[in-house]
Amino acid sequence: MTQPFTQSKLDRCISCGYCLPACPTYQLTGAEESSPRGRITLMRAVQDARLPLESLLPESNFCLGCRACEPVCPAGVEYGVLLEEMRDATWKGKNKPLIVRALFLAVGSTLRVRALALLSPIARKRKARTDLHLMLGCFERRLFPRVSRAVAQIEPTCSISKDQGCCGALHAHNGALEKGKAMAKALGEQLPGTILTTAGGCAAHLSSVLGRDRVKEFSEWFTLNNQQLTPLTKNGRPVRIGFQDSCHLRNGMSVFNEPRTILKSLGEYIEVPDAAACCGAAGTYALLQPKNSRKVVSKKVQDIAALNLDYLATVNPGCTRQLQSELRRAGVKTKVVHLAELVERALSANS
Amino acid sequence: MAAQGIAEQLTALLRADLVKSDLTSLEAYSRDATPLFRGVPDVIVSPRSTADVVKVVKFANETNTPIIARGAGSNLSGATVPLQGGIVLAMANMKSVLEVSKSEMIAVVQPGVTNIDLDELVAKEGLRFIPDPGSRNVSTIGGNAATSAGGLRGLKYGTTKNYVLGLEAVIGTGEILRTGGRLVKDVAGYDITRLLVGSEGTLGIFTEITVALAPRPQLSKYGVAYFDSLASAAQAVDQVMLAGLLPATLEFLDNTCIVAVEDFAHLGLDKEAGALLLFGDDGDEASVTPALTRMAEIIKSASGCRGLTLAADVAAADALLYARRCSLPALARLGSLSILEDIAVPRPKMAEAVRKIEEIAQCYNLRIGTFGHAGDGNLHPTIVVDKDIPEEVRKAELALREIFQIAIDLGGTITGEHGVGSAKLPFLEPLLGPVNMQLQRNIKKVFDPKGILNPGRLGS
Repeated sequence: MTQPFTQSKLDRCISCGYCLPACPTYQLTGAEESSPRGRITLMRAVQDARLPLESLLPESNFCLGCRACEPVCPAGVEYGVLLEEMRDATWKGKNKPLIVRALFLAVGSTLRVRALALLSPIARKRKARTDLHLMLGCFERRLFPRVSRAVAQIEPTCSISKDQGCCGALHAHNGALEKGKAMAKALGEQLPGTILTTAGGCAAHLSSVLGRDRVKEFSEWFTLNNQQLTPLTKNGRPVRIGFQDSCHLRNGMSVFNEPRTILKSLGEYIEVPDAAACCGAAGTYALLQPKNSRKVVSKKVQDIAALNLDYLATVNPGCTRQLQSELRRAGVKTKVVHLAELVERALSANS
Repeated sequence: MAAQGIAEQLTALLRADLVKSDLTSLEAYSRDATPLFRGVPDVIVSPRSTADVVKVVKFANETNTPIIARGAGSNLSGATVPLQGGIVLAMANMKSVLEVSKSEMIAVVQPGVTNIDLDELVAKEGLRFIPDPGSRNVSTIGGNAATSAGGLRGLKYGTTKNYVLGLEAVIGTGEILRTGGRLVKDVAGYDITRLLVGSEGTLGIFTEITVALAPRPQLSKYGVAYFDSLASAAQAVDQVMLAGLLPATLEFLDNTCIVAVEDFAHLGLDKEAGALLLFGDDGDEASVTPALTRMAEIIKSASGCRGLTLAADVAAADALLYARRCSLPALARLGSLSILEDIAVPRPKMAEAVRKIEEIAQCYNLRIGTFGHAGDGNLHPTIVVDKDIPEEVRKAELALREIFQIAIDLGGTITGEHGVGSAKLPFLEPLLGPVNMQLQRNIKKVFDPKGILNPGRLGS
């Protein structure tokens, strides 16, 4: 059997265990095998043929892939890459979840991604700067068409082309690593210059394949422009806004100050406790592991409820969907919206 | 007894979900933070109560099964690697803080509470848990007590052994021992509490720990100085102490570490310097600022001082502390295997120890960076090699032996704060001598007649 992991990436781990407190699944279970260090120990055992490949499957499924272990790692272990390799090796044949197969099918070609959003009122196509393109995403295009409309308003110079497919983050994170990379490259050719994206997960995947300088996440881009914002109000008072980090945006791209800076000028900003901790959406996780996903999000729902917020801003469609449905289920009135929608509202209130 | 038999019997005794014996789980518990040590256990038990622990220990005692208590598995001496198989008692889920008494300044905790969780909890009462090992974000109070963990505050405040007031422990026979309590003064009988602290899981399994807390200082201030050599830095430290000052922080990096840290973190460190000295104090405004000013004056005028800066604000102080904290990872990036050691010598001998370590590095042509606690003479020489070159690994092992001998020759010890575990057991007898070693073995037999508690370590 060929070795499933890049040896030099496994070698980086010094087994210090500093990742344990940051890991949501370790926090749930207290079990070493459900920690990043424990999983790397298992990967090493498989790499050295002490354990069969199948033994990785339970943890390959259980890991959220939030990469909260990366910023706290003193040795610079690229856990996200190792997880992609683990999923690539284990989610094969009968072990590839049906839901993943269906999702791959849905976004497998540019045509299908366009068909997916046929009835969604997304931003209109337009030609503007040739070196700045808005990425529409695949499921964001379908589920949250307002987001691209908001960015089209906020950034009139960016070009919007409908001839664009999925970025392949879905594939890379769900056991089809090479396909995921190829899709990112294809999207990079469809959208030349800087790719402006409203999804943290896509941003991190794209930048890992195309290079950091090709990709700007919305909050990053908007902060550069330094536009003045007038606070949004409700009943004569500034709105109360909280924020949920996108794991890959924060842990993979170190973008977390930018959205907060913007939100502070949009109203009364209140930091949600553990805003950096995963909301349990984690890409396909909420679909594949609904019970565990709910366990991960439950404390967050309580924390958000206690803050009595008007808005909870997000920067990734998976988080938006997860928190919308979980807050609704808990009867919490806070509206979950993409950061760009709030910015667009503040700008249009100005003009 | 066959591994599967052990698991079945334990499952019958305990809640089934507390016992695991699948190969994947067993593999995950085959290591701790120590390189080169690996051993697969037969079963993992995750107790939720003292009663659970009693059941497991009684079973192990009846069946002569080794039992290894494990907190976060962050120790650096191979103390929790199940080299003889047996039962790993994973204490991470016994993590309740049972009581915090602000007026008595104590806390009563279960062993799986992490150091930082306890400290953050008592911070709400204006209190602080003093021991701050480098692993404090992950390591547990049970593990801290079992290894008498140290940290950056040793000189001014002492280490874990100074802060454990009482213990509940299950000894090798399965009996519950309560020792000490919540009193500062208590001399009734031998001090078994102190004996158990640092016993590395060989005398009893801790199930409840009563710790002393301290008032949280209003502020901390830091400065950094560079020296031509570590010897001159050590002399400057002597002068600080001679002036009657007791800094809360006195940390050093040698040139190898300075270069590694600077190349890794780009903090603007002086890469030409022979040593970096980080100093600081904590307390209230009225005491800290004058103390730090005096320290700075003394250090600046010491011979060999190349420059000194006081941290202007918290961010600058954090950057300085970061330089010290990232020494190990910065060194670790230079090779695939890093062995971090932990000798301590009387402070006046510190410079000599470092010089001899440098000679060893040259003699074996090895990369050895040394950082450590300049206030208490605790040095962390770190050898970085390529794990795939057997010759390098062998040289590293030879170099380590010589380093331990240096510590012993200078009146020091083979481990200041990490513990003996498996890694340093072979070097214990030369340090302690036959009388002490025999006493240790006799003590072990009293607590654990069948030798089931962390066998092959202290007392064996």
